[in-house]
Amino acid sequence: MVPTGSSTLGFAPGKPPPPPPQSQVSMAVQLPHQLGDDGPTLRKLGAMNEPFYLLRELPVGNELTGNTNLITHYSLEHAYNKFCGKKVKEKLSNFLPELPGMIDTLGSQDGSSLRSLIEKPPVCGNSFNPLTGAMLTGFRLHTGPLPEQYRLMHIQPPKKKSKHKHRHHRPQDPLPPETPSDSDHKKKKKKRDDDPDRKKKKKDKKKKKNRHSPDHPGLASSQPSSSSSLR
Amino acid sequence: MAEKFDNLEEHLEKFVENIRQLGIIVSDFQPSSQTGLNQKLNFMITGLQDIDKCRQQLHDINVPLEAFEYIDQGRNPQLYTKECLERALAKNEQVKGKIDTMTKFKSLLISELAKVFPEEMAKYKAIHGDDPPT
Repeated sequence: MVPTGSSTLGFAPGKPPPPPPQSQVSMAVQLPHQLGDDGPTLRKLGAMNEPFYLLRELPVGNELTGNTNLITHYSLEHAYNKFCGKKVKEKLSNFLPELPGMIDTLGSQDGSSLRSLIEKPPVCGNSFNPLTGAMLTGFRLHTGPLPEQYRLMHIQPPKKKSKHKHRHHRPQDPLPPETPSDSDHKKKKKKRDDDPDRKKKKKDKKKKKNRHSPDHPGLASSQPSSSSSLR
Repeated sequence: MAEKFDNLEEHLEKFVENIRQLGIIVSDFQPSSQTGLNQKLNFMITGLQDIDKCRQQLHDINVPLEAFEYIDQGRNPQLYTKECLERALAKNEQVKGKIDTMTKFKSLLISELAKVFPEEMAKYKAIHGDDPPT
């Protein structure tokens, strides 16, 4: 194939060879300059092309990176030690010990969840007005205790935790009112506890009496007949 | 800032206590308790008024929704704070590890390239300068 625009090769004497394609290189270099609209970025690229192809400038460094301890940077050591150094208790009642009621249950069970409050916000904007006498007549109640299904026995405030661990664990629900059978049982228990103490005291008293009596042989030993008299 | 929280907390505690006492009155109602009941009902309304007044002081306070999830599950919301801090620290350590690894890789690569292509690396260092100390 004979290139166009050039003389036949090698057959015509004295004609200079075709010029080397150097303009193509210069054209390539000049291209960034010709496209003046996208000047700065491409000029930079063009400048950075030498001596390495596609060598770009390094990105601007950020002062705050993952190399820094961000807890220290934002002065959160105290918070970190407070929450992560000690054991945080699991239950909500440990966070709100003064709040009465069963707060450790799921909010979705009794419709008291905060999520439902967000999804269905209540009507707001109305003012709070005190109840008048006529309105208060609607709150006249029947005397007597509530029916069983409506009783909320867990409305008493939880008792403060005692420091001594050997004491009985504080129940979530308050103790129900003492029934007659319970009180009798406690009284009986008290009597049982007292009886051996009473017996011992009586035994000791009798021993002392026997020691000081003139009939005593002088031996400090309990007599078998004395125990039978204590009944 | 803590004062407005203390103020709200005080009002809420009084409100809750009032409701608790109301429940006690209602659980075993007597005719003589009617006056007390009416008083408690009006205390409830004034309590709501006081809480509503506190709202204006706290309009710029944002609470993360994830903390609400903990409360709805009956869990201590401080666990959310604890887990946030732990996750932040873990991610911090992870990113620091990546930075350290990449820094070591870069210095190793430069040193090896300098052995193989000393002239080119000299030109590279002339353009970018020496590597900043890590």
